[in-house]
Amino acid sequence: MLRQIEGSRAVAEAVALCRPRVVSAYPISPQTHIIEGVGSLVKSGRLKPCEFINVESEFAAMSVSIGAAATGARAYTATSGPGLLDMAEAVFNASGLGLPIVMTVANRAVGAPINIGNDHSDAMALRDSGWIQLFAETNQHAVDLHIQAFRLAERLSVPVMVCMDGFILTHSVERVEIPTQEQVDRYLRPFAPQQVLDPAAPVSIGAMVGPEAFTEVRYLAHARLLEALVCIPELAAEFERVVGRPSGGLVSAYRSEDAETIVVALGSVVGTVKDVVDQMREEGLKIGVVAVTTFRPFPEQALGQALEGAHRVVVIEKAFAVGGRGVLGAQVDALVSDRGTKTYTVVAGLGGRSIPEASLRRVLGEAIRGELGAMSFLDLDRVVVDRELARMAEDPRRAPSTARVPRDVRENAARIV
Amino acid sequence: MSEHPFAITLDAGSSRDNRTGSWRVERPIYVDRMPPCNDACPAGENIQRWLYHAEAGAYEAAWRGLVEDNPLPAICGRVCFHPCEAACNRGKVDEAVGIRAVERFLGDAAIAHGWRLPERAPATGRRVLVVGSGPSGLSAAYHLARAGHEVVVREAAPRPGGMLRYGIPKYRLPREVIDAEISAIEDLGVEIRCDAGVADIASAMAEGAFDAAYLVLGAQLSHRVQVPAADSARLLDALAFLAGTEAAEPVAIGRRVVVYGGGDTAMDAARSAKRLGATDAVIVYRRNRRKMPAHADLVEEALAEGVTVRWMSTISRVEKDKVLVEKMELDSAGFPQPTGEFTNLDADCVILALGQDADLAPLAALEGVEVRDGLVVVDAQMMTGHSGVFAGGDMVPAERTVTVAVGHGKRAARNIDRWLRGETGGPPPRHELASIETLNTWYYADAGRTVQPELEAQRRQTGFEEVVGGLDEPNALFEARRCLSCGNCFECDNCYGVCPDNAVSKLGPGERYVFDYDYCKGCGICVAECPCGAIVMVPELI
Repeated sequence: MLRQIEGSRAVAEAVALCRPRVVSAYPISPQTHIIEGVGSLVKSGRLKPCEFINVESEFAAMSVSIGAAATGARAYTATSGPGLLDMAEAVFNASGLGLPIVMTVANRAVGAPINIGNDHSDAMALRDSGWIQLFAETNQHAVDLHIQAFRLAERLSVPVMVCMDGFILTHSVERVEIPTQEQVDRYLRPFAPQQVLDPAAPVSIGAMVGPEAFTEVRYLAHARLLEALVCIPELAAEFERVVGRPSGGLVSAYRSEDAETIVVALGSVVGTVKDVVDQMREEGLKIGVVAVTTFRPFPEQALGQALEGAHRVVVIEKAFAVGGRGVLGAQVDALVSDRGTKTYTVVAGLGGRSIPEASLRRVLGEAIRGELGAMSFLDLDRVVVDRELARMAEDPRRAPSTARVPRDVRENAARIV
Repeated sequence: MSEHPFAITLDAGSSRDNRTGSWRVERPIYVDRMPPCNDACPAGENIQRWLYHAEAGAYEAAWRGLVEDNPLPAICGRVCFHPCEAACNRGKVDEAVGIRAVERFLGDAAIAHGWRLPERAPATGRRVLVVGSGPSGLSAAYHLARAGHEVVVREAAPRPGGMLRYGIPKYRLPREVIDAEISAIEDLGVEIRCDAGVADIASAMAEGAFDAAYLVLGAQLSHRVQVPAADSARLLDALAFLAGTEAAEPVAIGRRVVVYGGGDTAMDAARSAKRLGATDAVIVYRRNRRKMPAHADLVEEALAEGVTVRWMSTISRVEKDKVLVEKMELDSAGFPQPTGEFTNLDADCVILALGQDADLAPLAALEGVEVRDGLVVVDAQMMTGHSGVFAGGDMVPAERTVTVAVGHGKRAARNIDRWLRGETGGPPPRHELASIETLNTWYYADAGRTVQPELEAQRRQTGFEEVVGGLDEPNALFEARRCLSCGNCFECDNCYGVCPDNAVSKLGPGERYVFDYDYCKGCGICVAECPCGAIVMVPELI
């Protein structure tokens, strides 16, 4: 049914259609409306049978999800930013134990300073936790990805994180087509766990394993995650057959077939980039965009193909490796630099900062003209930064190190715009 | 090959393969310590045990626990000076448990529900004479009857109860309470003969063919001091005055009453005088409040009722309508000394409450009985120098309270029983005291003491209605639950929960726990975390 609905509520409805048996969560902005939505569906009896467990922290939320999944219950949770980091150890446990938990991450910046706005620092901090990470472009996409996520998780016995931009998606009201229960039931059958904790047949799970086996355990997890690269397109195709709408997959290209310049991005910013691409296409520029829907496992082959023929790739990222490079940018660069494709990383939208079309047009124009640095920060307030760097350089308490570091920064400043 | 995911899921192993008990050099053991309340109870009640039942709402079981030691809980629940509460460890945490109030609740519940005292043991054919039907005589008669002996109580007064009836005013102890608890003892088959004083113990024993006797004649002779008095002066004896309030026509006392003395009897006399219409009831006492022998509760209640006290004063002379009072001062040894300063005090009558002596004349013909300072000497078994004749209560050297008397009765009865059976030995040795240092008070929730209702002051000056009210059921339950269970396991599961070796097993409700020494490595965490100090570490003997 087509509805005008808030993104969080739409996700809650989609999750309920997937019939989770246990939902355990701790509220945190901007995830709160999602679990409130699921909670009210449980309370009203629309989602039944389902145990909604209020817990005292995100660590507990994930731990309860682990316990639930281990006993064969379909388990769902959701979190944001610092919440994801609070549960970090358990996040690794969930994937290490191969438990098919689905978690929404309403992406939020990570402090300090405290900031509840959207960026991708949270998901990127746990990108190597062994979970599948899917990024939603729109609320419709978020709904579809959640339904596919349960199927995918249970198919591979791997947990799946569905990332959706906090506030930008979670709090915006848009038209969303919610599948029917009948459609979802056809697509997602009851959970048939690969193994179940059962007092009648006791086992130990997650017990101590030493160096003699740990490498093999990790290799097997890696192999299983890579298997998702095959499964995800299959499950997306099946979803289209059942629901009648293409959604999901590894990457999604827009007007990139003949493009000389291709923008690569994660999440909701792709929508803005599409508008900019349309404008620049009208001006005769050969430009397109490729959205990375599946970020973990990293779809090297699919993305490599999508970027074939491009002269330059501009990666727009809502997070970066402080002291290093862009996270996605570095991976894209490794993928295409051999072909002579030039890559640029543009860090944008940190802590909820808007990414205006005009800024994107400006930075893409600079890339096309060869004026853009390899790594840049969109709409960086240069006056503030320079003043602060200068003050730091003059601070005698910081002199020994800043004498060198700020100079490096300054030398790079020509490239960092 | 296992069917489980490689190295993530393993066959069920068990830490029980590792018998960590072999590491141990010390072992924890469960102990029972003596709770301070039980230790302090003159009647030897197992207070903590009956509170434990009351905590669960099992009031009849609690009352049955109580009457194992004391058949007069409704009485003691009103008039006991509760040394248990003074000793209560909870008093060092917030406020002592209101033990007496719960005891009264249980005693009243027994009367209301008609719970019957436990059945007697099969008859032994032995006969015991109890002389005196005060609390000690009643207690002894009850315990002797339970042991299967035939008991006859002889009482000089027209009604049974001794000082309970003739010494303690109704507003502290309603008469229907006395009657109810005495009749419960009579229902056991104890014969109480009133108006049947014994003039000569030896012949009374011989006539009745008694095998043993318990003498509790009390102390009913008021101390007479030489107070110069005019012929027209009106002097009353406190005990006679109090006994007179039981009569249909109370003694005439006038409007201005002076009571001379500082004990509980003086308080009772002054308060009774107020109730009989005295506008002024003034106590004259020769020392200060700190040195006053009366119990603090009674002093407080007397003052609240408008009784006044002339501290540090003696009466030098009594005249028709006034007394001459001399001011005293304490010397360096704390004794009051005269100052030569005098004042007059209006008084229509003077009640003397200066202590009581025992009338030992009925013992005169008994050989071997030793009397010292006007009191009968008894050994640790409460036996006088005359074999088979035991004594207790106010006529032996001890504190003179109802509960001490009840305790004497129990102790004497048990020793008489042993003596009749030709057994020797005494009660088992006492456990080590559960002092506050042995407790982990951190574990107990804050809970203030429940306050008993009190009659408003106006009504306390006009009649003999009971002053202190009882607790209702929810409040009695709350008060019982304030017990810390000092030194005795109350199955809180702390040891069970904290043991890192899962070496504590539960044996089921009321059965406590057992250590599995195959796995207990002697870390002592259970000892450290036991709230009530019921676990101790002892060295392993190799």
